Amino acid sequence: MRPVLAIARNTIREALRERVALIAVVFGLAMVLASQVLAPLALGEGKKIVTDFGLAGSSLLATLLAITLGTSLLYKEVERRTIYSVMAKPVRRTEFLVGKFLGLWSTGAALLVVTTLMVLAVLTVAYRDTPWVLAGSLALTLVEIGIVTSFVVFYSSFTTPGLAAFFTLTSIVAGHFAEDLLYFGTHGGTSAFGAATTVAYWVLPHLSVFNARGLVVHGVPVPPERLLFAAAYGLLYMGALLAAASAIFERREFR
Amino acid sequence: MKGSQDAVHRRGSAEHAQNMHEVAPLSPLSIVSLRKTYRDPMTLKPFTAVSDVTFELRRGEIFGLLGPNGAGKTTTIKLVLGLARPTSGSVLIDGRDPSDPNARRRLGYLPENPCFYDHLNAAEYLELVGELFGLDPNVRRHRSGGLMERLGLTPHVKKPLRKYSKGMTQRLGLVQALLNEPTLLVLDEPMSGLDPIGRAEVKQILREERSRGVTILLSSHVLAETESICDRVGILQNGRLLEVGAIPDLVRTGVREWEVVVDSVPEETASSLREMGHGLESAGSRTVIRVAEGTALQEVLARLTRLGIFVHAVEPRRETLEEHFVRALRGSQGAAL
Repeated sequence: MRPVLAIARNTIREALRERVALIAVVFGLAMVLASQVLAPLALGEGKKIVTDFGLAGSSLLATLLAITLGTSLLYKEVERRTIYSVMAKPVRRTEFLVGKFLGLWSTGAALLVVTTLMVLAVLTVAYRDTPWVLAGSLALTLVEIGIVTSFVVFYSSFTTPGLAAFFTLTSIVAGHFAEDLLYFGTHGGTSAFGAATTVAYWVLPHLSVFNARGLVVHGVPVPPERLLFAAAYGLLYMGALLAAASAIFERREFR
Repeated sequence: MKGSQDAVHRRGSAEHAQNMHEVAPLSPLSIVSLRKTYRDPMTLKPFTAVSDVTFELRRGEIFGLLGPNGAGKTTTIKLVLGLARPTSGSVLIDGRDPSDPNARRRLGYLPENPCFYDHLNAAEYLELVGELFGLDPNVRRHRSGGLMERLGLTPHVKKPLRKYSKGMTQRLGLVQALLNEPTLLVLDEPMSGLDPIGRAEVKQILREERSRGVTILLSSHVLAETESICDRVGILQNGRLLEVGAIPDLVRTGVREWEVVVDSVPEETASSLREMGHGLESAGSRTVIRVAEGTALQEVLARLTRLGIFVHAVEPRRETLEEHFVRALRGSQGAAL
């Protein structure tokens, strides 16, 4: 466990020194500006719009950070051969991969927490209300970012940063529309297409599970059973992806 | 009576030999029939980087893996570290497969042209290395402080690694390789990027480590450096191990030629010496006469004395490792043709 934590800490350090904090500051300023611009146009719905816009923005930001940072950090390790010195130590390849995953997830999670706090702060100052129900949405998005990060690590274990980013984005978009895909596949298509979409439905992550913005913008808290289910599903999905990534990375040769 | 005593002694010796066999210490590094074939990812054409390499390191020796560029030195080292997997054959570190993390617990590695995390400074990097080795923080701090001091890096401990020069990075590479007090050190071109003082310091450190019982495998193409510190060498070419042995056993230990250093030689004498098959070279204000045989040397010296030419020095020249290396490679190329 010690090497895993050491690698995770190093990954966080590297990400922080890549000016991740700056992204959070820019996001905060954009939120303040957006709340001032949108509120008068929203016919009394300014608070909902700022909440929805803010939460969606922070989720998107954390997703993009996980993809850009994750794909480049892993690739750089191999390209610059820093991984040679690490793998010559008593470290298993799986430990290296899990350490990288935890570091990237923690960085994305920290950014998500900071930006959500900014949304909360803007709402408190502009609307004299602190909607703590946002915590439920934050918890779900944290798990979603974990899945995104595990996709990044999985694809990065065998391909280039560009392709890993493309595959991750494709998986995320498809994951958000998994249920629609199943619907179209099983209503009116050929039986083969229906079978293919059913397989895709079960393989793809059901990311809509993690989107509770529709509830929290109306001040409705996320039910605890949904949180528990999402956490269990997310952790299982991450575990499966990391196991696959580890199996691939174990066989990888460093030339 | 004496016969029965001899029999007892022989039986005792046999038992002793058997016991010795049972407790024979494992080699720090054993490589048997190692082969590595890569496939071009586009054409799938196979390329053999290492072929049928077998050698074993003895505890407490410095073993030099020599060879021209592309000979398979770095591939062999990657196979030793588990960074690549053998196509066939085996590598054992203290009897363990390199893929076992425990095999790497007392192993130190310095990569060729090392590159470390440039977002860290030396202190942070050594903290990471210590954690990867599972060292206690106090032990790690104590050891890294001592090693940084030993390699003259103490003033640069807080400097970001991206600002390190090539020589400083190489020294830091040695610090991280020694942090776990390894029993086996694997160094890929350890003298690369170092100035003469740095090279002398590194050689001194390697000698000290050897005297502590550390086994060292180093790859190099700087043969003069290798010759002065290695106990044994292996010469690789095109992935094949041409020779393994102690340097005195490999190089021709006899005198190859004699160098006679004299003041300038009159042209007439010089021509005559050349006709006799001796080489002449000017070295500043002096001339060096190369004489191939001892008997011819006596004749040359007698002649120079007769002519009143002052002889400054007569030095025997033996084959250097570099000359042997070139001879071995040419011999192998000749055999291949």
